[in-house]
Amino acid sequence: MNLVNIRDVLTSFSPALDYLALSTGDGRIKIWDTVKGQVQTEFADLASAEETNIYTKVGKGHLSVDYTCMKWLALEKKKKRKLGTSLLVLGTGGGDVLALDVASGQLKWRISDCHPGGVNAVSSSTKASFIYSGGADGMVCEIDPHSGNLIRKFKASAKAVSSLSVSPDGKTLATASAQLKTFKCSDLKKIQKFTGHPGGVRCVAFTEDGKFILSSAVGERYIAVWKTDGAKKQSASCVLALEHPPVFVDSWGETEGKGLYVLAISEIGVCYFWYGSNVEELGNAKPTKVALAAEDFALKHHKGSLPIIFAAKLQGILKPGSVNAFIASGLLVKPSFQKMVLQFGTDLVLNASKNGILLPITQSESKSKKGQGVQNKVTTLDRTHAEDALLPIARVADLHEKKRLQPHSSDKDTDMVDQSQADHVETFSMEDKLRSLGILKGTNEQSNLSYASVVEGIDLEAYLPPKKLKTAVLSMAPSTAFKTLEALVLMWQTRGCGGKCLLPWIYSIMVNHSHYIMSQEPKNHQLLDTLLKITKPRGTALQQLLQLSGRLQLVTAQINKAAGNQTQTTVHDQEIDENEDEQEDVEEHVYAENDYESDLSSDDGKDKDDTLMGEI
Amino acid sequence: MIRGGRNTITSVPAFSNDAKKLLLCTANSVSVYSVDTGLRITSLEGHTAPVTTVIVVPLPTNTIFLCWTTSLDGKIRLWDFSEPKILKTVDAQLPVYSLVIPSHVSDDLIAYASVEDCSNVSKDLFGQIRRLNLCEEPFCSGDTLKEMEEPKPIVISPSGEFFGVCHNCKIHIWNASCEEMAKETTTLHHTQLITVFAFHPDKRMLAAGDVTGRVLIWKEFGNGEVISVKSEHDAESCTVFNWHSHEVTVLNFSSDGTVLYSGGKDGVLVAWQLDTGNTQLMPKIESPLLYFILSSDPTLSSIKKFQVICADNQIHFLKMPSMEILRTISGIKPPARPKGLLCYIKTMDICLIRTVSIDRSSGIAAFSTSNHRVQLYNLLSDCEISEVQVCERNHQPDDDEVQVFISAVALARNGSVMTTAEVRLAAGSLSEGLVSLKFWVFVPDKKTFSLSTVINQPHREAAITAITLSPVRFMAVTTSSAGDFKIWVCNSDKNLTPEDKWIFHGVGSYKKKPITAAAFSGDGSCLAIAATTVILIWDPKKNELMFVFEKFHAPIMELSFAGGFIVAASHGPPSTPQLSVWDVMTLGLSWSYRLYMEAIATEASSSDPYFAVLTWLPESYRSVKSNEQIFRGKDGAILLFDGSGPKPVAIWTVMNARGGSLSFVEDSKKSQILLAYVNGNHEYVLFDPHSDDTTETSAKDYEVLLAAITKKKKRSRKKTLLAMSERPLEKRFCGSTLNIPPFPDVCGSFFASHMRKRICERVEMQPESHSA
Repeated sequence: MNLVNIRDVLTSFSPALDYLALSTGDGRIKIWDTVKGQVQTEFADLASAEETNIYTKVGKGHLSVDYTCMKWLALEKKKKRKLGTSLLVLGTGGGDVLALDVASGQLKWRISDCHPGGVNAVSSSTKASFIYSGGADGMVCEIDPHSGNLIRKFKASAKAVSSLSVSPDGKTLATASAQLKTFKCSDLKKIQKFTGHPGGVRCVAFTEDGKFILSSAVGERYIAVWKTDGAKKQSASCVLALEHPPVFVDSWGETEGKGLYVLAISEIGVCYFWYGSNVEELGNAKPTKVALAAEDFALKHHKGSLPIIFAAKLQGILKPGSVNAFIASGLLVKPSFQKMVLQFGTDLVLNASKNGILLPITQSESKSKKGQGVQNKVTTLDRTHAEDALLPIARVADLHEKKRLQPHSSDKDTDMVDQSQADHVETFSMEDKLRSLGILKGTNEQSNLSYASVVEGIDLEAYLPPKKLKTAVLSMAPSTAFKTLEALVLMWQTRGCGGKCLLPWIYSIMVNHSHYIMSQEPKNHQLLDTLLKITKPRGTALQQLLQLSGRLQLVTAQINKAAGNQTQTTVHDQEIDENEDEQEDVEEHVYAENDYESDLSSDDGKDKDDTLMGEI
Repeated sequence: MIRGGRNTITSVPAFSNDAKKLLLCTANSVSVYSVDTGLRITSLEGHTAPVTTVIVVPLPTNTIFLCWTTSLDGKIRLWDFSEPKILKTVDAQLPVYSLVIPSHVSDDLIAYASVEDCSNVSKDLFGQIRRLNLCEEPFCSGDTLKEMEEPKPIVISPSGEFFGVCHNCKIHIWNASCEEMAKETTTLHHTQLITVFAFHPDKRMLAAGDVTGRVLIWKEFGNGEVISVKSEHDAESCTVFNWHSHEVTVLNFSSDGTVLYSGGKDGVLVAWQLDTGNTQLMPKIESPLLYFILSSDPTLSSIKKFQVICADNQIHFLKMPSMEILRTISGIKPPARPKGLLCYIKTMDICLIRTVSIDRSSGIAAFSTSNHRVQLYNLLSDCEISEVQVCERNHQPDDDEVQVFISAVALARNGSVMTTAEVRLAAGSLSEGLVSLKFWVFVPDKKTFSLSTVINQPHREAAITAITLSPVRFMAVTTSSAGDFKIWVCNSDKNLTPEDKWIFHGVGSYKKKPITAAAFSGDGSCLAIAATTVILIWDPKKNELMFVFEKFHAPIMELSFAGGFIVAASHGPPSTPQLSVWDVMTLGLSWSYRLYMEAIATEASSSDPYFAVLTWLPESYRSVKSNEQIFRGKDGAILLFDGSGPKPVAIWTVMNARGGSLSFVEDSKKSQILLAYVNGNHEYVLFDPHSDDTTETSAKDYEVLLAAITKKKKRSRKKTLLAMSERPLEKRFCGSTLNIPPFPDVCGSFFASHMRKRICERVEMQPESHSA
């Protein structure tokens, strides 16, 4: 299990969500910049900073402090000062409450022994007019955030106050031990009492409109939802069940019929999300889960802490049932921050980044290999490739026509292709004739696009085992198969796609639908003719091609070896390589992903030569 | 209203006495940063011109924090910077470029200031060093110690005993400890131009750096004699350190006087042990160093010891002596000013560098910087996100061998896709460069961009003049000066990863004319291409020409779709610049202005389309007497138009419009559309174009102010517009004779009448175009 229990992790987002304060229980607080994903600053030794001048301790003071709760709040802007200060209020196990000025990195104020026995919770409203703290002594203190003066103190419960929360409007205070109580902030009068939790409540939260309170006690695998308006004593309105006890709850409720949104993080670092247009619906809702991908090989064998989601905050509602959430996940030593859309009903699995893990040696090797892989994944195209794919320069001769009729520009469906076929038979323009004969090339590329859509159903790139291919072909209607064949031949001819992908299909169609093809004899005569024309010279060149390919592989391998597996290949090198290749009269690029592709591109190069010959 | 991208290093920063705060001169204000966290605590606002000096008053206690500031507005102020408060203001009446306050000798507070006095035009000596008494009432302008061609910064020794200025090849030093007016005591001569110098903390020792990269050390100066260096090896009283290959810009002695730090344009910090001459290098700073200061550490027991280096609008806190960068405060890097590239592109009759790109939906801007990187900056939260190294190349200050520039950058799709174009020029041959086009994909985990596809020489030898990314699809268009444009697509459609390749989709050209601009329509279905003087409307998916406009005289430099309009800005040497608006429905010119356009921003997603243009007004416009009142030193204006007609809805005048850019940005938090203006120095401002609260920005550094003419609210816009249309356009410019003729056109007066008709038609057609 985790080395660091998520229960001991204190997190608090800054009000603008640009920073996250994180304390893992060793008395140090790290402030992470959520935009850059870097540590902005670190607070250690704060508690002892004032005394150290006398004793001159050397940097171990932080170990004696244990923070128990944390809350980040932005103070209201005073006068015309441009920057409102933001305070990080902390409670310690020793009973102190202290506030850090985050920008200047200094202790702003400190109340020693505020709650003998330890501070358990701090909270404030969004306006941060007052800070409330609750502790083991059952007292609740009201503190002025600017000066740190204790304003009021009152006994909220006979037992220790385990959690407390202030409603967003700052009017109601909810304290919890085993029993939830709400108070009016103005005169500290008790409003309501909610009973039902067997043990100490770990988290309490108000909904955004202050109409409901959410709470969950230690070890409970559910969140109770309580109504704030209504009877003095009441039981929970509904209960939201989780698989593991929750440690953090955030919610967003809107009165205008937009529904209630509840976000919780469980002990094992899984984020739960509920939505309901009203309380009843919320109670019946099945939670949507956001978890980190756990199947990662390297992490499974890793003995240390697992990546978890440890902080989340709802940001706003996009539309009913979907919200924007800001999520901090990963390892506590290197969290990553994401803003994402949570759609109710669709579970999300996040990729766990391996940042921050010290991998064992074998795995680090594999990692470096992976790095190399990433390097290789960069596709490099040079001018020959760009020229290879040239589309015809659109002619602008007949400008005055509003829209030029383009027989080959059909786009969407097979009917259009049919029509283009019909056009093709009817027209007697020399150009079209030539084009149809495959002599005038290149110009067909426009239609190539359309053909590409014909064969859309077929994933040409994917390798299919022959059996599947056969079934796919057999499932086609003969006429469709024929059209597909036409498209494929054209694509092959114009090299819209590699021959490796196309040929099995062409072959398979020829085999399986030979009857139909034969029956279409007058129409397909020239098609087969073309196919033959393309195939034959390639067939004769196959032997040489294989030789060439083998030689190329050898040369490439030697070059790679000589280069000593340099992972960092500069652009410059690539250019040199390409130049060399050009001298060899082979148009291919070295930085293909594997041999198959270089094979393919050399094939292409050969094709070009062949077709040139064909044209002559 | 958000402002940001301030130049954080307009002059030397200063540490507070307890070394916990750092005071930076940021244009018209002084920002106070915390050394521990690198976050801004507060700022001192009050000066109306750039702040030139900040001096922290050395006080023994740690409870009072006082500092003096000087500014070009002629004021010298005393502040309490723990809570920003002006304690005292002295009006020096002349722009103060530099100020030093030697240690107190008597009750009077004697300061020496470098001021600019242009009153005496007969002499060419505008810069003066003056002795001021800051306590005297009333304040007198003081005695002049020295006159120079221009104001120079004054340097004071840490002990406060000496101060001096460098002037060409000489350093003039005065002794400040004299009760009377300090007499010039010493002049040090050198054979090269001296760029910087520094005093030793306790010895009579002085170090100076020159333009060739040498560091000279004089010992025992100040005996009244004139010391000079005749040749390079004249080392009687002078030691020469040679390390830097370029101009020395930074010199500083350590507080104990054993180490001399020097840095230069080459971006390397060198620490010299004065006794042994041993060096320690810190080469990691990829930009010219500007300032280097040491924290005056009061508690010697503390292990932390900070030095600050500023370079390229970045402030680095260094930990000494390991020279490790602890923390960085970063602003937007200043624009690169390539020399060769301009020539290179000008040979093609096109001078286009698009180095700023703002993504509308996320508010992220991409800036290309001088060290071959692209900096990504979040305009909404005013913080840097990351930097992307576009080409693998180190910082080279003045390299004549090979020059590499990022010539274009484009960002789109919520900041997830970026495209860059770079040019590599060999020495001498500026006509031919190696161009590569790179596609980048944002990786959220790493918070940075990862390279996806590289295309070398996408347009053969020709330069890329513009890159445009489609707002809805993974589609990009590059245009070239060779007369073709190419459309690139990505083979995946959703959730782009770096593994997805970008492939070539189509090419087009028009009569082999150089293509100068391209723009996608709001839904990405239509592509407008500017082929020098012709606009082509293209279907990017089918790669087919749909329509051609051929009515321009000058090359079109900017192009944009605004609802049912196409906005085009054309300018070129032979003919007048022109901003013209074309109606897509009627395929004709709606109206035009004879203005020089820098940038166009359009907003088409809302129900009524509107667009803003950034116009740069040449000197001849501004110097007209009646216009001076309006512009007050500002050289550009932002005009906001809505779809209804040629009358601007709002006008703001701005500074530094040349090279600026403009874009609408969606603020997702408040769900409003803001207008972002980035000026030529990469400072920016974000404001709501429909609200009036921008008027409060009376005299700030960006000087974006709403002209007095646009005092109306957004809600009443429709009504007031009708009322406005009766008034002539000149009224909108405060009744002045600003030479922006209402309807200058391409076809003379005939067209004016023609156009009015068009406008009428247009108004009628409006609902129809909306539904479409």
